[in-house]
Amino acid sequence: MELARKRLSVVLSSVASDSHTWNLVYLQLVLEEQGHDVVNLGACVPDDLLVAECLRCDPDLVVLSSVNGHGSQDGERVVRRLRACPELAGTPVVIGGKLGVDGDGRHTGNLLRAGFDAVFSDDVDAFRAFVDGLLVRVAA
Amino acid sequence: MTGFGGFVARAHAAGQLVVQPRMGFSDPGRMRGGLIATKLADATTVGTLTLDSYTRVGANDEARRALAEGAALNGYPIVAHDAATTASVVEGLRGQDFPVQIRHGSACPEHIVDALVRTGFDATEGGPVSYCLPYSRLPLRESVRNWERACQRLAAVPGSHLETFGGCMMGQLCPPSLLVAISVLEGLFFAQHGMRGISLSYAQQTDLAQDTDAMFALRRLGEEFFAGLDWHIVVYAYMGVYPKTPHGALNLLAQAARLAVRTGGARLIVKTVAEAYRIPTVAENVEALEHAASAAALTSALPVGDGGEVYREARALIDAVLNLSDDLGRAFVQAFALGYLDVPYCLHPDNAGRARGHVDASGRLAWTSVGAMPIPGATGRSAGITSSSLLTALSHVERTFDWSPMETPPSPQQHLASPVTKTVMRIQDTALTAAREYLRDNGFVELLPAIIGPVTDPGVRGSKQVDVDYYGHKYKLMTSAILYKQASLLGFDKLFYIAPNVRLEPPETASTARHLAEFHQLDVEISGASREDAMQVVEDLVRVMVQRVVTTMPAELEQLGRDADAFKDLLVSAFDRRTHASAVADLLEIGHPQSADAEIDWQGEEILSRKSSRPFFVTDYPKGCRGFYDRENRDVPGMLRNFDLIAPEGYGELCSGSEREFEYAKIVARMRETGENPAKYGWYLQMVREGIPDSAGFGIGIQRFIRYVAGLDSVWQASAYPKIPGQVSA
Ligand code: B12
Repeated sequence: MELARKRLSVVLSSVASDSHTWNLVYLQLVLEEQGHDVVNLGACVPDDLLVAECLRCDPDLVVLSSVNGHGSQDGERVVRRLRACPELAGTPVVIGGKLGVDGDGRHTGNLLRAGFDAVFSDDVDAFRAFVDGLLVRVAA
Repeated sequence: MTGFGGFVARAHAAGQLVVQPRMGFSDPGRMRGGLIATKLADATTVGTLTLDSYTRVGANDEARRALAEGAALNGYPIVAHDAATTASVVEGLRGQDFPVQIRHGSACPEHIVDALVRTGFDATEGGPVSYCLPYSRLPLRESVRNWERACQRLAAVPGSHLETFGGCMMGQLCPPSLLVAISVLEGLFFAQHGMRGISLSYAQQTDLAQDTDAMFALRRLGEEFFAGLDWHIVVYAYMGVYPKTPHGALNLLAQAARLAVRTGGARLIVKTVAEAYRIPTVAENVEALEHAASAAALTSALPVGDGGEVYREARALIDAVLNLSDDLGRAFVQAFALGYLDVPYCLHPDNAGRARGHVDASGRLAWTSVGAMPIPGATGRSAGITSSSLLTALSHVERTFDWSPMETPPSPQQHLASPVTKTVMRIQDTALTAAREYLRDNGFVELLPAIIGPVTDPGVRGSKQVDVDYYGHKYKLMTSAILYKQASLLGFDKLFYIAPNVRLEPPETASTARHLAEFHQLDVEISGASREDAMQVVEDLVRVMVQRVVTTMPAELEQLGRDADAFKDLLVSAFDRRTHASAVADLLEIGHPQSADAEIDWQGEEILSRKSSRPFFVTDYPKGCRGFYDRENRDVPGMLRNFDLIAPEGYGELCSGSEREFEYAKIVARMRETGENPAKYGWYLQMVREGIPDSAGFGIGIQRFIRYVAGLDSVWQASAYPKIPGQVSA
């Protein structure tokens, strides 16, 4: 059983207003190289679609990525929607990228309060470590 | 011609590249301030309102919510702001002399086009493919329908103008032929739906020569397909992962400006030093506009090329799409369904996703796989991309431009074997040969310089001297040849050296790109000459050396990426002469804190240097900032009869010279004033007391001069055995 759970199922997505996708292409490779299964929802994912896909896939992890500067506003809004679904209330949900238009990290507190389990900037190594940590949790 | 296209056409005819920011702020006051600054910038500009991402996806309520909460957006929300607000943003600014374009990125542009037409705009940007695939998840079919209606609406506005974003698409890793093809096809789509004013775009990619071909291909196709319309080509400064350092960002931008001018592009959209980080400020945008304009001013057009392979591939793609249907919208939908057009790395569900591009070993973009596109190349989907190889490919341009020449040079073996060093040394050889010929033809004798002596030039700007043990006496390595030059006048009226100098510059100068601890000067001294005589010799010498390199080594300059056009002004026009006082006044006016009694500091020198298109002289420095041998003006005490020659483009000082003090009493007095102990100068003062001729002379820093000619990032690249201040090296 534990072996089978070495692969996480991950939903990877942009947020509603963000059309950047190189970040998604890159993060999909990062996750696949760690051995996980990724459903990449692509650019400009409306809140309804993200919620629906997460309910359908029942993932072990939801990764949101945004670099257009609206990530904090879009992220706060959509994570509340995800958390409002009982099925997703406990699913690990993280966000990362360039989350504001001012290039600083002052959005982290609000995003955590809104329901994210972790907020990353450019630190992909920290992200890999976080994902590794989840394996232990999922296995247990 | 009126409107946006007319403005660009007039500037183009006048030889001016139009430069334009990608500027957008949600706050109307800031947006207006940005437009004012754009209009006032020292460049031929058009204004921009870049719209925010909520407006792009039609989430106008989200934009309103952000405005209400006072959160900054990544652009101007033209739909969420009412028409009166937008009118007040452009009031008194927008006009025939300052058109303003709306830039967005929407696959459902009708509400945007409505809003812009309502508020009196007539120019925008986009396209059914280029604003769908990279910007949206909307089915291409729907984007096409939306863009048909948007074109028709805009076409009804007299003088309206529409630019395709086809030359950018995903911004990176797409070989140029596909970008050129989509650009042309979208232009045809616009024309099919009534547009008469059209611009075709091309985004700078990884390689200047390939980009040059792509621009010529686009130009040729434009002439083939758009005869009778008002059309021009717009270049986008690099649209992929951008350099992080200011020097990298500005150099990449300057290269985009040169690309545009060389190939007949009429307009350039700039990027700023903030690109890699965040939305740029107004000041950063203005800096970019002015930097691009000054690079453009130093460039001239190349003879028109035929576009080579880029043309052939683009033409094949265009023909394949045009053959699918007379209705271009339908042809687009089919072309993507069939994979005739296939954009590398695009995740849009309507993109086939079989094509891949890569940066090849020579730095050009090449196809890894063309999928089903009707052009030569592998058709399978290539495997083997990893997260780190993807980042390496995406950061190719960033690394190339960010690579800091201020870092330690490579090992001596690598440095000497490098093709760059070899070419630079051959340029140096050519320049020095020309200089020696000129000087000999004009009656100068070359002497071999002294290397050590009991005393040397006391130097300025905090450099230290190197002591050598000479039979128990402390001798010095020469910091300059000045004392021996004056002595040599006793035997020769006109003489020169190519002399090595050693100055232990402070370690912090290692990062100025202009200091070496060991360097050489072309040192000239002329008996009985005035400062003006010496300046004329400097000017002639510089011109002779540059002329020789430009005419005999065009291939070498090209190899180094140095545009020979940079010297066009130098070769024909006399060098300007300005006083230290006026240079200080100029610097103070633009807000640079420059003391009137001191040497112009390095930043100040660089600012002045960037403003000029050919070398220029600064004369009459105040006494405090130079050595005892620069003659004081007998009529204006405290002012020296000296000069510096400053190179353009930010390369800074190339040469210093002066009329010399030659009378014993004056020299001793000046030594005391500058804190030098006359007792150290035994042999020199003894000689002066016996009498030496009056003279004027100068020294041209050879490595600095070659750096300028070869367009090198740092002066150490112009030395075969570089010694960087503060660094232990070979
Ligand atoms: C390519 C590019 C585009 C392309 C995108 C094509 C596409 N479909 O992807 C185009 C030209 C279409 C484009 C459009 C726009 N762009 Co853009 N774009 C860029 C650019 C130049 C490179 C981005 C890139 O490809 N990076 C490579 C990928 C692999 O890395 P990345 O995205 O930077 O992400 C890294 C990290 O952030 C991190 N990361 C990202 N997400 C996550 C998530 C997690 C969980 C973790 C751990 C890490 C992580 O990992 C990555 C690797 O280190 C950047 C500037 C730059 N960096 O040089 C601007 C930039 C991102 N764009 C920007 C903007 C604003 C826009 C626009 C809104 C237009 C505008 N106003 O200028 C539109 C987007 C419209 C919309 N609806 O969102 C801004 C964002 C500003 C901000 N955040 O403050 C930037 C920074 C440019 C700028 N300085 O203005 N863009």
